[in-house]
Amino acid sequence: MKKKLLAAFLAATMVMGMTACGGDTTAQGDAGTADGSSQVENSVAGDEEQEQIKLRMAWWGSQTRHDRTVQVIEMYEKENPHVDIEYEFFSFDDYFTKLKTLVSSDQVWDIFQLGGNFPQYVDKIYFLNDYIDSGVIDTTNISDAYLKITQDTAGNQMGLSNGLNTYGIAYDVDMFKEAGVPLPTDNWTWDDYADACRKISKHTGEFGTSGFTSSEFIAGCSTYIGQQGKVGEYGFFNLDLTGMGFDDYKMLTPYIQMRADLIKEGASPDAGAEMEITNIENDFLVTGEAAMTWVAVNQFPTIYDVCAAEGRTLALASLPRVTENGPAGSVIQSSQMLCVSQDSQYKEEAAKFISWFQNSEECNNVLQGERGIPINDKVREALKASATAGQQEMYDYVDLVGTFETPEKINVLSPDGQDQVVDQYRNLIQQVVAGEITADEAAKKTYEAAEAIFK
Amino acid sequence: MKDTATIGFGTKVRKFIYNDNTVGHVFAAPFIFGFICFSLIPILTSFYYAFTDFSMGSKEVTPVGLKNFAALLTDETFMKSLGVTLKYVFISVPMKLAFALFVAFLLTRKSKLVTLYRSLYYVPSLVGGSVAVALVWKQLFARRGLFNMVMKDMGLDTINWFGDQGLALFPLILMSVWQFGSSMIIFAAGLKEIPTTYYEAAEIDGANGFQKFIKITLPCLSPIILYNLVMQTISAFMAFTQAFIITKGGPNNATMMYALYVYKQAFDYNNMGYACAMSWFMLMVMSIITLVIFKSSKMWVFSEAGD
Repeated sequence: MKKKLLAAFLAATMVMGMTACGGDTTAQGDAGTADGSSQVENSVAGDEEQEQIKLRMAWWGSQTRHDRTVQVIEMYEKENPHVDIEYEFFSFDDYFTKLKTLVSSDQVWDIFQLGGNFPQYVDKIYFLNDYIDSGVIDTTNISDAYLKITQDTAGNQMGLSNGLNTYGIAYDVDMFKEAGVPLPTDNWTWDDYADACRKISKHTGEFGTSGFTSSEFIAGCSTYIGQQGKVGEYGFFNLDLTGMGFDDYKMLTPYIQMRADLIKEGASPDAGAEMEITNIENDFLVTGEAAMTWVAVNQFPTIYDVCAAEGRTLALASLPRVTENGPAGSVIQSSQMLCVSQDSQYKEEAAKFISWFQNSEECNNVLQGERGIPINDKVREALKASATAGQQEMYDYVDLVGTFETPEKINVLSPDGQDQVVDQYRNLIQQVVAGEITADEAAKKTYEAAEAIFK
Repeated sequence: MKDTATIGFGTKVRKFIYNDNTVGHVFAAPFIFGFICFSLIPILTSFYYAFTDFSMGSKEVTPVGLKNFAALLTDETFMKSLGVTLKYVFISVPMKLAFALFVAFLLTRKSKLVTLYRSLYYVPSLVGGSVAVALVWKQLFARRGLFNMVMKDMGLDTINWFGDQGLALFPLILMSVWQFGSSMIIFAAGLKEIPTTYYEAAEIDGANGFQKFIKITLPCLSPIILYNLVMQTISAFMAFTQAFIITKGGPNNATMMYALYVYKQAFDYNNMGYACAMSWFMLMVMSIITLVIFKSSKMWVFSEAGD
């Protein structure tokens, strides 16, 4: 009896398998006709016969960016019915994890977003020089200086910058006033900064500064090196990313000491509290638990609006300096760019999209410079004319940083392996806080870790 | 039986289908396919990568011999993560098993509600490794989370769970202990198998509850304890989600679980070869510990058939 049942079951599964196969073929047939008919419809809709193409695109960012980018993608699809854009968006870390897997399987998105860490992915970037020369990408309203910020030293155009950016410190004006601390000036020093943190923390019981760590390494630690000596004498890494830009690790010590002291005194969040910050929108400055935070200025309008809705006023201050009259260390750089991938089947179509994304006023009216201040002169003027208070503060700040004396040659790129150095650097600060090592040892170890990535 | 020509062929086919080996292989085929594609091949490639400088971003793979393994010895974070993981395993596994056994023991009473309770206690294990639970845990133990609110209301000092190196690991351990369900079910099944005659005999001899537990329950349950111990030890070594979601390894790497560090090396720092070497090292550590458990089991696992 059992055997018969088994046989019947086996037979049944086989039959089911066969019908399933049959089902598949009909389904495929259907899909085929569906495709065909949609093509016919399109050729009727558009005047010229155009091949239906699918572009894949991805980016990282905040919810605001996701919403706005999806909106402009839909606008583009409406204007170009033959293009279907399949998009994915991620948080910063997840984006790069995904990108790395796609790099190793040669399936990088047709259009993808990269920042200052592009050297790592240069093999996958299709240079845009030809498209710019042939006019596929319109650069009439983009000055050469702005094209240059996304070129490598050999002049290869990696992509077009989505926006100009620089780092600054966003602060809560009322918390400063409440604690009786003078507002930051354009050339305040790190001592003033630490002082303000302590006073505010003592007076309000909140943190003096938040610890938005993904910006802190570049805005704080790395800038601190550039601020020493003459303008352009030092940098954290050297100009062509082949080694360190300074020789004496002791140059780092005071900064690490300051960070550790502030954490120890409760004026800056410890590792546990920092873990609660997942993106700029729930940074302690935004939640009202800190008076300052590190920002890339394109993030500023968003948090300004959030706080304004709660009746709080934020403002932007320049990064503190080592000495009052020393170098500012801040530089205007590209926030991120859109690149065309080497793996793309439709490189020209991808380039066309990028050109539209950069130059269309309609498109940028939706984007509202959320990725940074647009490099297209006309678009920028149009946006400035209708700027909100938060955006105006950002424009003014970038203009201010533009007046600072900057070195002729700067390097704003990150070498392969920087992530590991940054993680070690943060960990070393935590060890200083715990009293396991001194700030001097932490500086030495940070230097060695950074040096090791070039070996 | 209608067609005489096909009887020979038909019986052959039937014999083939009825053969136990065929049946077994057919039913195992999906698993075998999955095992080869998603376990065996990746395992073998990772063995090869362990001796190379492979990284996700680049195409070139250069063999580097034992360099990756040598580098492990000088890597402070590696040493720390190994220590953290061992601490996690040695604390969480015994606690989890003890708790599972305790609850299983309570639920052996004859009551209609036992099944309901058993299902309820199993729920945490169902949602077990999920990100959602880890996020809830993160909120519970946050600076202004539920635990600290309760402490504050009771007039006690709040505890900075994830900011203190000494404490950060304990919420993670607690979360693993909380997911005791699957061990509990196995224990409950084991408890049912113990003949009641043993207990009756002991009662007649005047044994109390504690003596019955030590002298009868534990020895009779020891093969199941062994099974649970091995399984839970192995899965504790692979703990990843809690650390990844809740603490990201901090503060000062106090919760840098081994699996999390492997992930960081492979995907964040782009050292896939090094990560593979780490994985193989972990395999050796786990094998040794499992072997020790098995060898020692001769001394404490009681088998009725043997005696």
